[in-house]
Amino acid sequence: MAKELLKGNVAVAEAALRGGCDFFAGYPITPSTETLEYLSHRMPELGMETRFVQSENEIAAMNMVMGAASAGARALTASSGPGISLKAEGMSYAAHYAIPYVVLNVQRWGTGLGSLKSGQADYYRDCKGGGHGDYHNVVFAPNSIQEMVDDIYEAWDIAEKYRVGVTIFSEAVLGQMMEGVEMPPFKKREGDLDWGIDGTGSKGMKYPGGDGQEYIDFELSKYERIIPEMQRWEQYRTEDADYVFVAFGLPSRVCVDAVDKLRGSGEKVGLFRPKILWPFPHKGFEELYRMNPHVKGFISVEMNDMGQMVDDVALGAKRAGYCVPTYCYPCGGGVPRVKMVLAKYNEIITGELKEMY
Amino acid sequence: MKEIIFAGFGGQGVLTGGLILAYAASTKGLNAVWLPSYGPTMRGGKANCTVKYGETEEEKVGSPAMEEADILIAMNEPSLDYLEFCRPDCHVFVNANAVSADYSYPPGVTVTRLDVVELADQIHNVKGQNLVMLGAVIKKMGLFDEAYAEQAMCKMFADKGKGSFNEANVLAMRTGFNAV
Repeated sequence: MAKELLKGNVAVAEAALRGGCDFFAGYPITPSTETLEYLSHRMPELGMETRFVQSENEIAAMNMVMGAASAGARALTASSGPGISLKAEGMSYAAHYAIPYVVLNVQRWGTGLGSLKSGQADYYRDCKGGGHGDYHNVVFAPNSIQEMVDDIYEAWDIAEKYRVGVTIFSEAVLGQMMEGVEMPPFKKREGDLDWGIDGTGSKGMKYPGGDGQEYIDFELSKYERIIPEMQRWEQYRTEDADYVFVAFGLPSRVCVDAVDKLRGSGEKVGLFRPKILWPFPHKGFEELYRMNPHVKGFISVEMNDMGQMVDDVALGAKRAGYCVPTYCYPCGGGVPRVKMVLAKYNEIITGELKEMY
Repeated sequence: MKEIIFAGFGGQGVLTGGLILAYAASTKGLNAVWLPSYGPTMRGGKANCTVKYGETEEEKVGSPAMEEADILIAMNEPSLDYLEFCRPDCHVFVNANAVSADYSYPPGVTVTRLDVVELADQIHNVKGQNLVMLGAVIKKMGLFDEAYAEQAMCKMFADKGKGSFNEANVLAMRTGFNAV
């Protein structure tokens, strides 16, 4: 079947609806606005079973998402880095009340207002919780529009299974570009939630709440299940690699091209790609170590200025049994060029660029 | 892998021109990526898009960004800055109406100059300049069969609810076919 050419921000919106999303609240921000715009006409088209709200601001949208999800909706909000910061209070509360929901972050580069350039500057915030307190969202990091479609289609199943927030980590360029996509069919939640506010008072939210041991055990047991069950990664030509690039999202596609070029000139390199960033795929590093314990170094390639994932890469390598340097190429805003990745690789093997860990 | 940059000022239809190429590749079952210029570039008046597609159904597109383009389509002179992201032996299609005749190109580059303003004017379709250029590129570089390209373009516009202009669009594309 021929695929349909769709813009990332539009494809992810349609796939959300097909995955059962029936409530959206959001506030526009470049480069995520097409998602909101598309849903604003697509949801009414689907009828009164769905609700679209353009809220007065970001935190209001997040609070509406919490309310809708508490009443059993498959709720979504979407924004970009600065807008997600404004939702942080609500995200922390949603975590405390064990409310499942999905948030799309179409990341741009920078701190504060940053800029409109594509980026991966939100790794620390989104993968380490984001708001105050102790919690994690499951963070999907697709590197193609098809993968983003598949991820959001699955997102509410994961969110409801564990009663956790799910973040879809997009990027400005991934949201703005078009690629061939095959859309999955519409689906609904299988079975009923055994919790929620339905007006009868028969179920209730069924979370321990408070600050006692019961609450802490509830939270810990949740993450204890998620960590082993949500390990997802992909490896490319790592079986005999001396150096392994580690990248997610679009830089991982640039690294595939870089690996092929370097292999063509006899360099033994490969790529490790986390498909989910939290929980970080430590199991993947263990698999790599069993297959190829001779890796001489890891190179984290990221679209930010100081390197963020590199911490987890170094930890992943160390935990798996490697005792080798971890380098970082934080390329700043915008998708790195293959040429730049090759140049950095050259600086690393000649000893010009020092390791970060 | 084919890599094409279609560049000009906003309003010259460069994004649409590139989209037709991506659409034609995609409907043939090839993996295609269309990346529009985005953010400050677009807002400053310059616009461009990068189109990449596999030459077989199996070939996938890695980096979506401009890297080593095979073809640069320059609807104005600033677009020639993107030669930096082209192969040394690339093919450049230049809008002769907007780029000076004595522009100095790097050695190894093949240049085709086409006055698309004049050509579009001849068919009384001033808005069809991008399609005239596109027709010339498709024909000269053998990207797609001519009949297939026309059909893919018409289907794309029809899907967008703009099928009523298809006759004029086909005429513009054919004008491009015949100009090279």
